[in-house]
Amino acid sequence: MSFLAPAFLLAGLAIGLPVVFHLIRRSTRERKVFSSLMFLLPSPPRLSRRSRLEHLLLLLLRCIAVVLLATGFARPFLKHAFPEASNAAPVKRTLVLVDTSASMRRQGLWEKARGKAEALLAKASPLDQVALFTFDRQFKPLVTFEQWGATPPGDRLGLVRSRLASTQPGWASTHLDSALIQAAELLGETDKGTEALQKQVVVITDFQEGSQTRALQGHEWPKGVQILVERVLPASANNAGIQLVAGSTDTDYLSESAVRVRVTNASDSKREQFQAGWSGTNGTYIGKPIDLYVPAGQSRVVAIPAPSGNSPADRIVLRGDDEPFDNTVFVLPPQKSQTTILYVGNDSATESRQPLYFLQRAFQPTRSQAIQVTAQQTSTPLTGAAIAAAGLVIVTDLLDAQNAATLREAVSQGRTLLFAPATAAAFTGLGRILGLDGLRAEERRLEGYALMGEVDFRHPLFAPFADARYSDFTKIHFWKYRRIEEGALAGAEVLARFDNGDPAIVQVVLGKGRIIILASCWHPADSQLALSSKFVPLLYSLLDLGGAAVSPPRQYFVGDTVKLITTGAGETASTTTVALPDGTQVRLKPGETNFTQTLMPGIYSIPSALPPGRLAVNIEAAESRTAPLPADELDRLGVPAPQPVPVASTPADRAARLQSTELEAHQKLWRWFIVAALAVLGLETWLAGRTARRSAVPEELTA
Amino acid sequence: MSLTAPDSTARPSSLIDPKSLMSIRNLELRARVVVEGFWSGIHRSPHHGFSVEFTEYRQYAPGDDPRYLDWRVFARSDRYFIKRFEDETNLRCQLLVDRSRSMTFGSLSYTKADYAATLAATLAQFLYLQGDAVGLLTFDEQLRDFLPARHRTGQLRNIMLALEKPAEGRSTDVVAALRRVTETIRKRGLMVLISDFLAPLPDLQKHLLSLSACGHDIILFHVLDPEEATFSFPQSAMFEDVESGRTFFIDPAAARKEYLRRLESHCGNLRSICQHLGAAYIRMPTDRPLELALFDFVRGRMQLKHRVRRVLQHSGRSPS
Repeated sequence: MSFLAPAFLLAGLAIGLPVVFHLIRRSTRERKVFSSLMFLLPSPPRLSRRSRLEHLLLLLLRCIAVVLLATGFARPFLKHAFPEASNAAPVKRTLVLVDTSASMRRQGLWEKARGKAEALLAKASPLDQVALFTFDRQFKPLVTFEQWGATPPGDRLGLVRSRLASTQPGWASTHLDSALIQAAELLGETDKGTEALQKQVVVITDFQEGSQTRALQGHEWPKGVQILVERVLPASANNAGIQLVAGSTDTDYLSESAVRVRVTNASDSKREQFQAGWSGTNGTYIGKPIDLYVPAGQSRVVAIPAPSGNSPADRIVLRGDDEPFDNTVFVLPPQKSQTTILYVGNDSATESRQPLYFLQRAFQPTRSQAIQVTAQQTSTPLTGAAIAAAGLVIVTDLLDAQNAATLREAVSQGRTLLFAPATAAAFTGLGRILGLDGLRAEERRLEGYALMGEVDFRHPLFAPFADARYSDFTKIHFWKYRRIEEGALAGAEVLARFDNGDPAIVQVVLGKGRIIILASCWHPADSQLALSSKFVPLLYSLLDLGGAAVSPPRQYFVGDTVKLITTGAGETASTTTVALPDGTQVRLKPGETNFTQTLMPGIYSIPSALPPGRLAVNIEAAESRTAPLPADELDRLGVPAPQPVPVASTPADRAARLQSTELEAHQKLWRWFIVAALAVLGLETWLAGRTARRSAVPEELTA
Repeated sequence: MSLTAPDSTARPSSLIDPKSLMSIRNLELRARVVVEGFWSGIHRSPHHGFSVEFTEYRQYAPGDDPRYLDWRVFARSDRYFIKRFEDETNLRCQLLVDRSRSMTFGSLSYTKADYAATLAATLAQFLYLQGDAVGLLTFDEQLRDFLPARHRTGQLRNIMLALEKPAEGRSTDVVAALRRVTETIRKRGLMVLISDFLAPLPDLQKHLLSLSACGHDIILFHVLDPEEATFSFPQSAMFEDVESGRTFFIDPAAARKEYLRRLESHCGNLRSICQHLGAAYIRMPTDRPLELALFDFVRGRMQLKHRVRRVLQHSGRSPS
């Protein structure tokens, strides 16, 4: 039997105490009454040599209890039960994180990082648990704990070297916070029995200013995890970067005549003079570049004249610093999206009291979008192509059966139809679309006016108005409307009601598409809707609902997910192919709409999309802020710094101690010793009580 | 002033052994046995005045009462002399007896309380037979019985009854008894204090002083059990204080020397207080014959009288 805390065995010396107490008790048994103790001092208890020990059984039990307690506290365990397999128990769990962000592309930085990682892993003892991960915007494993454990100790360094050799820094930004948190959580998920291990995350990074650290603030770190930062410093600190001055949409920064870019100079840079200008794929300037003066730590926004329409220039290149990785920004010329609205009604576009008149004036062309309203009489047969080309179909008059069938087919496949009847009779046409022959509506002409009383702002149609500043619909008066029987429309959802409770706007889902029904049309004979400030936003909201008005962004950052939207029936073409800047073709799976492989900056083209599109992907501006962060930044953010480890033993000793700890924790023999001690003490109590009772009887008799 | 007990080995054979005496159950009978045959003359009074017993002549000084002029001497010598006489009065004696629980200790067949009661009864009997007024005050931590000094039928009986009550008090408060006596007994007399004096002395000294200042004569009987005087217990034990109930372990062999030193120091302090006040201190181990106590008492009385007289003469004042 071995002991984990043998020092506690010294407590076994307390076995002498019961013996002494037995002797002392014997010497103090007699009692004498005396007149006064004012002249007496208490004498220390003396042992009489001639005293004989009494109650030997009691004494024995007490001694056994003391020995059992001392043994229990010494944490005994049986060594022979130790499994041989656990001889290789690990003693340290380390996760090495290597920064592969774009800023690591600076000269010599990656080689230094690789060297540090290899040196660090070479020091790991065979018992250590080690994993190697890289991070930029994503957290990616190179060697997991399982792979490390499964590799023979002699081959581990080779494995690490080969994985590192096949890795290069990417172009993404440095998400240091999410990487550290994920690494710490991975370390925190330890198996049973490894709680005592030293857990450490070693980050090999350039620790640049542009690293994201916001999420580290106030993060609750797993217990026992320490984070150590190993910095790598670049050979040269002279770095400047260029970025597009971006707004909320990709067209904001592109004016007709110039492109605005921001040139940022790192705070530790020694260069101040730069040049920026348009360039083609070969890297040479097209036209005359602009000279820039940007002091260290500052930035300048400059407008660079747009190239001529047939120029091959698709990028702006910055020159004058030592690090080229962030010196190119790819720019695509603005692309105007075309949207068609099919209006089916019998009114004239020139009649200023009819719905079409207001509709055409509502959709004015913008810089990014041109919307054309195509009017068609109800008597003219509708074609599938015309409907397919339209982002939104609006019907205001009675449809015949043929047209209704065509529209029904189109809506079922995902189109959006706005049904705004100018008369109650037009509802017959709606009934034809919906397949409800008996659908009727009652014409309600009000003496006064009705107001929009109840609006469902959770619906996408009204979501843009949800803000309290825009949610007031009470200024729109409705003079007359068509009363719709809710019960007649199966599955109808009322989006707005008049103040008398009748439905004002109803949505009916038909197949994949939907029909929005207005009880009252917008022209002045029906209501003030066309003249209100809500009319145009409501129509654009309808266009968005139909998926027609979305002008997809064309500027992305490295690592962004691109949602591919194609024209057609809202579905991705079955074989979408994306051409990467280096010429590689990436084929998306059928039905897949998200393109995630924006791994490098450049122009991506999607020839198979309808219409063929192009995307510009650039490095995030933060990557250009390459000046190092202060050394105490992580401390300030509350990241657990490594504590000095009390190392007083060799790895072999530590391993043995760890094994003992595990074994003892597994066996838990101390419990049995404590139970036995309690049992002995119980027996002792019973026996002592019995002895006391017996000895009390003769004294009473003698008294 | 102190009177030491004669060696018990040299005790006259006529003396009654205390053990035998204490075996008599009736307290009054015990007292009578002791007093029997013991007779002394009348007490002299410190008060000079008109009496039958002539003391001395003194030359007349202006202001003296001419009634006391001895005309015969004037006729013979043609000088004025004043005749002085000794005043004979009855003694007023107040017995103050400690009945606290510490007095219940006794290593012999009787306790200190029994012995003290017998001593008090003996003194009372003796004085009563002389025709003196005797009173009694018993006390423990508070005052118990108080019988003012009187000489009348039944007084002695009442004293005996009070003394026969068991000692039940918890602690000793001599000071309270003395304060009461000082406050209530205005007439000068003899105060006999019988106690084991197992209490702090400083307060005792203060109140004895005020008692003495009132003109009372004081005799202290210090009653001690032989075991208390020698602390000759054979083996160690847990000793319990009979008054406070405190208990601790004491090894007599180790503690005896210190105990005796402290006890003697206590007794010495008590004795020096008495000397300072002019009181008589009589140490009475409970194995000492009571006749000797009576003898000491009478001797103490005589010495007190002489002391008073000396003091008065030394101050040049008339003892009236």
